Amino acid sequence: MLEMFEYDFMLRAFGAGLIIAVLASVTGSFIVLRRYSLLTETLAHVSLVGVAIGLLTGSNPVWVAVVVSMLAAWVIEYLRSYHSLYSDSILALFLSGSLALAIVIVSVAGSFNASLFSYLFGSILAVSSEDLLVMGVFGSLAMAVLLGLFKEFYFIAFDEEVAQVSGLRVKLLNFLLVSIVAVIIALSIRVVGTLLIGALMVIPAISALRYRMGFARTVMLALIFALVSVLAGMTLSYYFSLPSGATIVLVVLGIFVLSMVINRR
Amino acid sequence: MKFYPPVFEAKGLCYRVNGNEILKQIDLLLKRGEYAAIIGPNGGGKTTLIRLLLGLEKPSGGEIRLFGKPQKSFREWHRIGYVPQRVSQVDMQFPATVYEVVKMGRVARRGVLGRERPEDAEAVEAAMAKMAVSQLREKLIGELSGGQRQRVMIARALASEPEVLILDEPNTGVDAQTQHRFYELLRTLNREESLTILFVTHDVGVIAEDIQSLFFVNQTLLSSDAPAEALSCSEMSRLYGIHAHVLHHDH
Repeated sequence: MLEMFEYDFMLRAFGAGLIIAVLASVTGSFIVLRRYSLLTETLAHVSLVGVAIGLLTGSNPVWVAVVVSMLAAWVIEYLRSYHSLYSDSILALFLSGSLALAIVIVSVAGSFNASLFSYLFGSILAVSSEDLLVMGVFGSLAMAVLLGLFKEFYFIAFDEEVAQVSGLRVKLLNFLLVSIVAVIIALSIRVVGTLLIGALMVIPAISALRYRMGFARTVMLALIFALVSVLAGMTLSYYFSLPSGATIVLVVLGIFVLSMVINRR
Repeated sequence: MKFYPPVFEAKGLCYRVNGNEILKQIDLLLKRGEYAAIIGPNGGGKTTLIRLLLGLEKPSGGEIRLFGKPQKSFREWHRIGYVPQRVSQVDMQFPATVYEVVKMGRVARRGVLGRERPEDAEAVEAAMAKMAVSQLREKLIGELSGGQRQRVMIARALASEPEVLILDEPNTGVDAQTQHRFYELLRTLNREESLTILFVTHDVGVIAEDIQSLFFVNQTLLSSDAPAEALSCSEMSRLYGIHAHVLHHDH
């Protein structure tokens, strides 16, 4: 069983997977409670534009994806906060628009190949030392902001209006939260893939919600579910030569079904 | 003798949406320690007035001062406790225990990156005790009755140790007996804790005996007379524009 850790690429993949599991599940808990789950899917598609630009220009696709998805997150949040547009319509607009743009750029770059496939569905072979470094740096920053502003994000998720009256700078904090989501999604594309990262953010949180506990315990449970899914998914991926992202998502789906059965009401 | 500026002061307050005048030329003064209510017909702008005072909406004109400071430069929001209209519509699935909800009231006091101090825990315990919800601390917010949820939301507002408590239609979705106990509790907080209280209600009868200031809002502030006068049948008929009977009751 432990032979897989003799390979450097597996150690890197597990390192990356654990970073993503922690970040995605904690952030996902806030996103789910704010009825903003579709944001994860949208930003995942937007990050594909970053990947496409990276492939076209020969830059590191993960770096470009971080920048592009963060810019898109700010525009989405700006449109949501300052213009009377429906949130889900804005997300639908960005979701299809960015996918179209990504496909055009990839066609121009002539790189509709295995490289793009790995960004769509994730690959444990794909995590380079540089990727791990990028994930470590941005992941630590994102986690520091999340932990530092945990009580503020929680208050806003529960009651945005009262949080504002309490003196919290709600708009600024909302921008920060979507920025963190954008960074985490862009960082995750190597391991989980752009088409599947949304699931890793949302499913651990909604599974944990089935157990009807307070917020701190719900977040802890979501974190445990995400860690178990990533570890089990990557192990299965290694032994059965399956795409890592899809395997991880199937494991977390299994946890969700189990949680539904255990907590039937 | 120390001078205390008014809690809220509005002058010439106007609010328009897409050219429609929702509120016009409101002059309002809420003094420290007052027990006051805003009444008026549905759609008359009561909630909008509260939202303007709290900075949740931007006025189209006029000036608002909070504790003597212009609203734009006011930063001591922990001095204001707010219980919105939506208490009855709290997300029943939200994973929050009573203790976690009341603790939210300390977020502003603790400040960004502020760690929890002993006085934060004490304020949360004191607020829960005042509202008699201490024994519910581990219960989820979705497991509570309407009346219990209402008390938890007020406990959250009290946890910031405010000087004024603003409540918007606090009795929506709450049974009559609970409403009666609720008004008694508000009055006690006002008398014993010297807490200034301003609430929006459409139930004129139940508040008539205790209220110190009554603001009647229907697009503009039509009356801020002494409550006894404002609540007379003839005055009500004039304000609502129909023939009105005021029934005094205590549920």
